[in-house]
Amino acid sequence: MAHYIHFRDPTSMAIEEKLKGIPKCPGTCFFIDVINSTDIKYKTELEDWGKRLNNTFNFISFLNDFPENVVKGIGDELMLFIPDEDLFSKTAYNNYFGLIEEIYATIDNLVNYPLENTFLNCKVSIHYCTEVYNITFFEHANDYYGKDIDLTARLMSKAKANRIVMSEKFYTKVQNDMIDMNIRLENTALAKISSVYMEDFKGVPWPTEFRYIDIESL
Amino acid sequence: MNITLIKVGETNVLQIEGRLDTTNYGELEHHLSSLTDNDELKILLDLDKLEYISSSGLRILLMFLKKIKATDGRFMLCGLSSDIREIFEISGFINIFEIFENQDAALK
Repeated sequence: MAHYIHFRDPTSMAIEEKLKGIPKCPGTCFFIDVINSTDIKYKTELEDWGKRLNNTFNFISFLNDFPENVVKGIGDELMLFIPDEDLFSKTAYNNYFGLIEEIYATIDNLVNYPLENTFLNCKVSIHYCTEVYNITFFEHANDYYGKDIDLTARLMSKAKANRIVMSEKFYTKVQNDMIDMNIRLENTALAKISSVYMEDFKGVPWPTEFRYIDIESL
Repeated sequence: MNITLIKVGETNVLQIEGRLDTTNYGELEHHLSSLTDNDELKILLDLDKLEYISSSGLRILLMFLKKIKATDGRFMLCGLSSDIREIFEISGFINIFEIFENQDAALK
């Protein structure tokens, strides 16, 4: 559960003491954004766009397997944070390789689902976070703050429909899992991963390396 | 996961037992590819003993459904437990596959 930060005195030394004692919470952060949902809200009625949003969020099986890890939804974007200790305690896809395989399969299934007007397409950004804290400023809420969470959100600027963007830091984690499990790249979701790119994201003082996978219709 | 292949008439019946997820979907893909590469395009997956299917497993099913539908073959499923059926309902897969109660019904 998140550390609840709430001090009424803005000059309180106690808040600094409390913050100093809060440990980092390494894990994987995802942003999943439903594409064109604003557009369809103008073009269709609630019974259409509401249904497609419902279908799409249900379809992301990931959300069913990590229900406690959906941190928040803002409009049509979801943020998930999976602390390492939660990930490693799972029985299914309990490693970074499993995570990317599942999210890839989910987006691929959405892209290739044969009946029209059932789902909406998505884009995804993923980053492995070390600079992150499980804190909240609102009672009974769960949240994560830190510069790596902000960077995950920034990565989304390089995503588009049916694309998964991932930081090099996350990709390295996946690669390490593949080496441990003796899995060959060509047999995985990562077979068509891009080369590494570098970008200066707003507010991030150094360039960020990232890669992406574009998922195509069969 | 265990996969058993039997042939009933012209239909290749694959019985899948256990969990189908990121760790083993390649095995099912391999079995299905072997069949389709040899123009064995009437396939029934018996999921009676399937305990769990993740998105990676669903992806393989969708991939081969599309592949076989593009020919004059048939790709059928049977024996879905209530848990597996629920996953198929949520994902909309219930509407795109030919699904039967059991092998007998599918092979009639």
